Amino acid sequence: MKQAVADALPLILSAIPFALVVGLAITESGIGNFVGWTAAPIIFAGAAHLTLVTLLGAGTAVLAAITTSLVINARHLMYSAALAPTFQKQPRWFRWVGPYALIDQMFAIVFLRKDDEPKAFRTYFLSAAIAFAIFWNVFVAVGLLVGPVVPGTWNLGFAVPVMFIGIVVMGIDRYPKAVAAVVGAATSYAFASLPNRSGLLVGALLGIIAGISVDRRR
Amino acid sequence: MTDFIAIVIVGLGTYAFRSIFIVALAGRTIPPNVIRALEFVGPAVLSALVVALLVDESGSVVAGIPELAALAAGGFAGWRTRNLIYTVVAGMGVFWLLRIWL
Repeated sequence: MKQAVADALPLILSAIPFALVVGLAITESGIGNFVGWTAAPIIFAGAAHLTLVTLLGAGTAVLAAITTSLVINARHLMYSAALAPTFQKQPRWFRWVGPYALIDQMFAIVFLRKDDEPKAFRTYFLSAAIAFAIFWNVFVAVGLLVGPVVPGTWNLGFAVPVMFIGIVVMGIDRYPKAVAAVVGAATSYAFASLPNRSGLLVGALLGIIAGISVDRRR
Repeated sequence: MTDFIAIVIVGLGTYAFRSIFIVALAGRTIPPNVIRALEFVGPAVLSALVVALLVDESGSVVAGIPELAALAAGGFAGWRTRNLIYTVVAGMGVFWLLRIWL
């Protein structure tokens, strides 16, 4: 249990600005602090939470906002598939409860333990999950409190795109992903005047297609 | 209320993504093509999103030099340090400095 928390700690520390920016974005979106905060426990995923709140606040069509957020979280399918064999050795209740906490950081640390003895894996998983859940829900709330204190002229909300660009850059570990990012951005701009901000989805889709097309690692 | 329903839908969908292979499709594997496509979802969607945040409804750019320089600085810091804290500090630092100077 101690080991799980020790492994989770550096990831928690580096996610602090993310949680604060999510809280801040909620206060700027105008969708209401409590409603915006509920997405922390309900969705439990930073990028999708930030996206949904920002898009809803910007007057995006609800369906487009939902779709974009879901597309961002589609990567979790990979985590589910990768850990499925490990979870087969777990009791039924844990197969239902565990996936709730399968966020990026959780996957990163528990995947290294996938061959542990089932009881040890479960304890490790639950300890880390509880640590992440407490941290996330509390720090998003802290962001809600910090937001209104900062003068509006500081434009703290601009931290949202800055954060996203950082996540994009950090995720690029090979050339086709850079192509996906550049094409996604360029076509999103080219289609920016489409109604209800649907140009965002067109851009994202074309970026994914471009990435696949130049990917030679088949 | 609409906003809350949207949150619940995204929450249910996210849980479905995280649980489906563990709860329901344990014996199945994802086709390699799908896995390959999923790898590009993050970079493509998030960079498209950054652009969407910089343009208005009509497609005109609403960002000025401080914004664009801040994104460049944040991107550079993220690339060099792989650390979100430095990314935000560099991006917002450049943003505020340029807004004061320009």
